[in-house]
Amino acid sequence: MSRFVYAPVEMPPEAVKLRAQVRAFCEEERAAGRFEPAVGSMVAADEAFSAKLGERGWLGMTWPKQYGGHERSALERYVVVEELLAAGAPVMAHWIADRQSGPQILRHGSERAKNEILPRVAAGKCYFAIGMSEPDTGSDLASVKSRAHKVDGGWSLTGRKVWTSYAHRAHYLIALVRTSGTADQRHVGLTQFIVDLKAPGVTVRPIYNLYGGHDFNEVTFDDVFVPEDMIVAGEGRGWEMVTAELAFERSGPDRFMSTFPLLCETFDAVGEAPTDTQAAELGRLVANLATLRRMSSSIAGMLQAGLNPATEAALVKDLGTGLEQEIPEVARRILPSATRAGMPNDRYTALLHESQMQCVSYSIRGGTREILRGMIARGLGLR
Amino acid sequence: MSDMREEMIRTLDRVVEDILTPAEREKADGGGTSDKLWAALVEQGFTAIGEADGEIGFADTMALVQRSGYHAVPVPLGETIMARRLLARAGIALPDGAVTLVPPAAAGAPAAKHASVPFGRACTHAVVAAGPELQLLAIDGAVSNEGINQAGEARDDIDVSKTTVVAKAQFPNAARTLQLEGALLRTVQLSGALERTLEHCMTWVNDRVQFGRPIARFQAMQHAMAVMASEVAAANAATDMAVEKSIGSADWFAVAVAKSRAGEAAGRVANGAHAAFGAMGFTREHQLHYATRRLWSWRDDFGSEVVWQTEIGRALAGAGGRGLWRELTAQGRPAGVAHPTFVRCWPEPICPADRLRPFYNSCICRRLRTFSSSRLAIGRSVTFMTLGSSNGDQQKI
Repeated sequence: MSRFVYAPVEMPPEAVKLRAQVRAFCEEERAAGRFEPAVGSMVAADEAFSAKLGERGWLGMTWPKQYGGHERSALERYVVVEELLAAGAPVMAHWIADRQSGPQILRHGSERAKNEILPRVAAGKCYFAIGMSEPDTGSDLASVKSRAHKVDGGWSLTGRKVWTSYAHRAHYLIALVRTSGTADQRHVGLTQFIVDLKAPGVTVRPIYNLYGGHDFNEVTFDDVFVPEDMIVAGEGRGWEMVTAELAFERSGPDRFMSTFPLLCETFDAVGEAPTDTQAAELGRLVANLATLRRMSSSIAGMLQAGLNPATEAALVKDLGTGLEQEIPEVARRILPSATRAGMPNDRYTALLHESQMQCVSYSIRGGTREILRGMIARGLGLR
Repeated sequence: MSDMREEMIRTLDRVVEDILTPAEREKADGGGTSDKLWAALVEQGFTAIGEADGEIGFADTMALVQRSGYHAVPVPLGETIMARRLLARAGIALPDGAVTLVPPAAAGAPAAKHASVPFGRACTHAVVAAGPELQLLAIDGAVSNEGINQAGEARDDIDVSKTTVVAKAQFPNAARTLQLEGALLRTVQLSGALERTLEHCMTWVNDRVQFGRPIARFQAMQHAMAVMASEVAAANAATDMAVEKSIGSADWFAVAVAKSRAGEAAGRVANGAHAAFGAMGFTREHQLHYATRRLWSWRDDFGSEVVWQTEIGRALAGAGGRGLWRELTAQGRPAGVAHPTFVRCWPEPICPADRLRPFYNSCICRRLRTFSSSRLAIGRSVTFMTLGSSNGDQQKI
């Protein structure tokens, strides 16, 4: 049976209360002028905001209290994440640490890594970047050329990582590097290291994106020392680690809600009395969004149950980024700029332009469409 | 999956395998039904599901309907099950035999004929919405014009003067409810036909050899299949959600979302399947068309995608961006209002255009707040009249 099932989840009663709390907090912050809703809030960072979330117990939510966590369910975390994205809050600073690096360290990190790092992540004061891609390594991740060799008490890293979002402010980066063998051996001989970005030998250089924004960077390692206990899982287990990490990276609401603030603004701009076409176009987006929420929350339920829904997550990301990219297309179709003459610098237009320029990246970061569809095809037994 | 559900699906699979030979399907196609299949379904008790206090739960019943969509059964099983659920809710005694649903006409005016009634000629009875009532009609000999849809299923016109009202009951929002239940039925059937189409494709791409290898080995084909499987998964997720929320009666938002999403998937998956099959799938001989022609037909029944999408867009437009998120995350529905109530503000309109729009009770409150600042003096009473009943619901702003 070639069926991917997205079973319903029962939201715990606490989640309902939590949703109201997060919503009220975001509205308060927004009313106080501390942020303006942004599209792809994963690119808007505000470390003070992240620290406030930490204070309220909304980071590291599912982790043990021993490591600064709050022992709440994946579904409660899902609700918090959704509310932050719906509000267009500036969450980039802590996003990667809370979403994937933290959980990875919790499951596979050394005791030292867990004790030193996780409480700071949960407090919203310690940030991570992802070190997977390289200048010659994109979708073909197994071809990484960065290497590490054994030295006294640890490893010495040399190589280069690119598209490392937020590395210019982050404290750590988890790097996938080759520790043995050659690129021909593919998935064998790869290891994940937690690299301190302030360590000697690390250089971070900005790579500006197409609209001049500074989100990602090039990170160079020149004989960077990494202590033995900053290995994730163990030498040679890098590929397995990357694969596990991606289920966390791909299934969340950040894969279908990036341009939600533009959808809200479009509803506001259309107003009380939409034409039939406007109503139908907006209704279609809402129907897709409601469906994706069902699928994504279902995956939160699977993660809660300890499953590894990697293929289900790939499917949600592929459909979700498709919706994110469609929102600006629909917006400009149903609200042509001609009908809004005389208001060229309004919020709606600004969000529309931001969305348009940013959303092409959504189906690249975290796994391209082609990679995702390859995974789904494997899930169907076609590969 | 419950034992009951598994057992019913296994039974249906077996019955279909025994009876629905290609010849039997071909015979029924073009407005007919398979009498042999219907007799077998009667024997299994499947045509008698739908009592209000029946033993089989709604989700299990819908799983059976989904499977009947998968098998493209040429009999009014789904219609009968849905009609019985409505009759049971209305407190009308359930007739034996095949019952169909009369799709509510766009205009509410009494008509001389009921148009495009599914399987009209094969049913003894029909459920129809007549003003504030739900009625059970005897329709034997009342078909005035026999027609078919794209799938070759009977869609017949019924001469109202030749029908008799067997029973009737007051029913709030009768036409609206019938429309929603019908849309839910087609959504569930679509979900089954989508699965069947995808399975046809999976078998085909693994078997068909071109350029020396199964076409499943080509990346272009793998990606096409991945896209189709994603569409099917999304349609199924939306359908499951609609079924879960419609246990007592159809939940309009969930049904609107699901009919819209499944309808979108139907077009894409049918196209994708025919692309994968090439000329082979374009033949009468191949079984694929029993699924794909139903995809094209069912997505139009009881409101096509655009009808439901327009309704969703309209219902949410007034509340703006913040209202949109509030609505999407609303927990459950207020007790007693499982379907939208058409409300009208009285004595004077609050909506600028005095339009009648579907809203939940909760939304009424929200709209009151929205408008209280700009258009109404705080502290005034406004009465909401539910159309079709005389109960005014007082609410103070």
